[in-house]
Amino acid sequence: MSTLLTHIAISDGKIKRSSLEVLSHLRRQAEQHGHQVEAVIIDAEASRYTGQVQQYGPSKIYTVENPVFKNHLNAPLLKALEKVIEQADPSLVAFASTESTKDILGALAAREEAAVLSDVSTFELTEEGIRATRPVMAAKILSENEARGDMILVSVRSGSYDLEEQASDAEVIEIDFSVDDQDLRATLEEIISSSGDTIDLSEAETIVAAGRGAKDEKGQQLISELADVLNAGVGASRALTEAGVMDPSLQIGQTGKVVSPQLYIAVGISGAIQHVAGMASSKVIVAINKDPDAPIFDIADYGIVGDLYDVLPPFIDELKKIAS
Amino acid sequence: MKFYVCIKQVPDIDAPIQIKNGNLIQDTDRTVLNAYDASAVEEALVLTEKHGGEVEVVLIGPNQAKETIRKALAMGAHKATHIETREESYDSSVYASILASFFEDKDYDVISCGKQSQDTDAGLTGSMLAEHLDLPYSTNAVALSAQNGQLRVKRQGDAGQELIALPLPCLVSCSNDMNEPRIPSLKGIMQSKRKPMETIALDALEIDESALEAKTAVTGYREKPKREAGQKFEGEPEETARQVARLLDEEANVV
Repeated sequence: MSTLLTHIAISDGKIKRSSLEVLSHLRRQAEQHGHQVEAVIIDAEASRYTGQVQQYGPSKIYTVENPVFKNHLNAPLLKALEKVIEQADPSLVAFASTESTKDILGALAAREEAAVLSDVSTFELTEEGIRATRPVMAAKILSENEARGDMILVSVRSGSYDLEEQASDAEVIEIDFSVDDQDLRATLEEIISSSGDTIDLSEAETIVAAGRGAKDEKGQQLISELADVLNAGVGASRALTEAGVMDPSLQIGQTGKVVSPQLYIAVGISGAIQHVAGMASSKVIVAINKDPDAPIFDIADYGIVGDLYDVLPPFIDELKKIAS
Repeated sequence: MKFYVCIKQVPDIDAPIQIKNGNLIQDTDRTVLNAYDASAVEEALVLTEKHGGEVEVVLIGPNQAKETIRKALAMGAHKATHIETREESYDSSVYASILASFFEDKDYDVISCGKQSQDTDAGLTGSMLAEHLDLPYSTNAVALSAQNGQLRVKRQGDAGQELIALPLPCLVSCSNDMNEPRIPSLKGIMQSKRKPMETIALDALEIDESALEAKTAVTGYREKPKREAGQKFEGEPEETARQVARLLDEEANVV
């Protein structure tokens, strides 16, 4: 029997749902293959989250609590993971694929001499390691991959697995941890912008995404009205984040965030492959575009050909009626 | 400042591709300089134009990857090293081991690279290399500046942007949101042919056999299940907008 460890990511004082998805999947895999699943929380207030993590059935929860983890910095996070790995001796460590994970996954693999597969959409345990599917070539193609070795690291796209609770009375193990300036290696001088209290795109049920067609103030106003009615997260194509119209953290696509909401409404987005790579696994896609030949219509479940300024006001009005 | 930029030749993701018996077949052999690496080259050029210094590019790949090196030289990089391999492709950990061995006896202020390859999107090699070389590093940089002997990195994080100061020497991986890479001028293209390019055979680096063994393997490719285009409405906007809103409620059950 070996140990499968799940990293629980914390963002804005909340557990990332995607890491609980990974934990749910790992617990089912552990049951099938006769392994045990454990979790690790690394945060300035790690102990706050143990109760919620217990609902997902790990047998142990490691906490590493230190003020340094208030903001992401790679060197202390690596040091903490190294310490936990030393103690838990896992054969597999699984992460939700966040920007913080992307920052450390390669370095951790090199440090632990582990095999690593990043940003997979599914994975399962095999005799020698794992088998995983990864979207490649701007998510036009799926590649099948194997990783073998004594330790394997994997990061998983959000929305890949369903949450499944199974309460446990997991033992909580606090890991002693301290940092000095030497450990930091870099100085975090400032957090420049933050999407603050807006809805986390990687977890949103509904996303309204704006493209070049919705660049001006009136377009932006309509986008935010539509998002309000649907309680949706607002995203953007690269055209809008590059133009400085939308915050860069809202970019959806191969370069930005990969999302898979229940409903994705693309407004004024043509559907370049780099954008589609970030949203093609949405459950229902609605496209609003005045160009009837825009490629976004090839993947949309509902396409409306028309000027967004004509389409959105009645669309919003009708949705309001439905909501009330 | 001495910059080394690690670059990679990748298939053009916009070119048509097919899958035959689980293998990926490109209809053309169109290859390009990885877009993220192009941004890393551009930024290194901007910083050395401002502060003085030199940009050297390093590429691991077969002989035909030389054209990608020429592209970087034509953009303005001063010199290049080509670590020549046979046809096989490697996983990220092998690339990182080869680069680590190359950099062992080199002096530099900054090693930079793209944050990921546009074909595989793995995004691992940069931080792996930093770990091998024991360098402070940052990934997913969207802006760079040099100040007081430090590299200041604006990094796109999960929720916001982080401004991070790295002591030199350091490593940084670059997003294509950083800049618009320059198109080589005719003069640049002419000059690139006279710029120094050293070719090193992979064997000459005397890397441990075990470090060249991939820990992961691609066992096959398949088409992504195609999304079918659904209903497309081209009628009068007022009516179609209301109709689609109702369908989202009654048919799709998503509002």
